[in-house]
Amino acid sequence: MAEQFIGKASEFKDGDRQIVRIGEDEIGIFRHEGQYYAYSNFCLHQGGPACEGLTIANVEERLRPDKTSMGLHFTDSMNFVCPWHGYEYDMKTGCHVKDKSIKLRKYDVVTKGNDVYVVA
Amino acid sequence: MSSPRTVTAKASAKTSRAAKKSASDEGMSRADKVNFISAMMDGLPSKDAPAKTRTEKVARKASANKPLKVEILRKISAPVIVATPSNALSDEARKFAAAIEDKVASGDFDALTPEAVQALMTALCKFYSCNVEAGNKFAVVKDRHSITGTDAMITCGALLKAVDLQVFELGMWQSWSGL
Ligand code: FES
Repeated sequence: MAEQFIGKASEFKDGDRQIVRIGEDEIGIFRHEGQYYAYSNFCLHQGGPACEGLTIANVEERLRPDKTSMGLHFTDSMNFVCPWHGYEYDMKTGCHVKDKSIKLRKYDVVTKGNDVYVVA
Repeated sequence: MSSPRTVTAKASAKTSRAAKKSASDEGMSRADKVNFISAMMDGLPSKDAPAKTRTEKVARKASANKPLKVEILRKISAPVIVATPSNALSDEARKFAAAIEDKVASGDFDALTPEAVQALMTALCKFYSCNVEAGNKFAVVKDRHSITGTDAMITCGALLKAVDLQVFELGMWQSWSGL
C-alpha cells in the first residue's frame, strides 16, 4: 500500500467529493466537516456506484418516555446513499446504517500540507 | 480346470466392472465437476483477459509500494447556496420560525393554535406560489435535510385535500404547466 496523490486540499471544499481510479480500485473521497473519508465505490448490494448518490443526514424517530412518537428528525450524523437501490452508508464508518456487518472497504486519507493522498 | 460355476462368477464380475466403467465415462469425473462448479462461480476466463499468472501476481506485489496511476473520474461539488440580502420582515420571520422549531423539538405541539397555523400556512402558501408564478423560483425549504419525506407528504397531502385535489390532478397540472 502506498500513498497516492489525489489532489490539493485547497480544491476540496466541505461537502465536495471525488471519484478516482487508483490501479484496479475505484474510490470515492468525501470531505465532510473538515475530515476526509474514502471508500470503495463498489456498492455491496449489486456493485452500484456507492459514493455517487445523495448525502443525507440520518433520520431517527424520537419517542417520549411513554413511547408516543415525537416524529422523525434528522440527526447530526451524515450518510451517503447508493443511487441504484438506496443502500445507505454511514459517512464516518462506511457501515450500512441498518446492518453494521455490511461495510464498504475504507481507505486511509493522509494530508501533507496542501496535498491529499489516499493510501491504496 | 475351473468348474462351470467359477467361470460364470468370473464372467459376471467382469460384466459389473465394465458396467461401472461405462457409467463413470457417461457421467462427469470429479475433476470435471470441480472445474464446472468453479466456472459457474467465477465465470469462464475470456480469451482477451487470460487469468492472472503467478508472475503477474508477484509483479503486482513487488509494485505494492510504488505510486499507481491515479485517474480522476469525476468531481462532485457541494451544493452552492446563494445568499440574498435580508430585510426586517425576513429577520422577524426567521426568528419566529426558529421559535416554532424549538417548540417542535421540545414536543410542545400546542404552542400554536390550529387557527394560527392555518393563518401562517395560508400566507406562506400564497407568498410562495406568487413568487414561483412571477418567475422567482427558489427551493421551498433550505435543503434536503430541513424536513423529512414524511413531513413533506403529510403537508402536501393536507394542502391538496384542503382544495379538494387528487394526486393525479397535481401530476397532470405539473406536466402541463412545467412548474
Ligand atoms: S447496488 Fe447499491 S443499492 Fe443496489
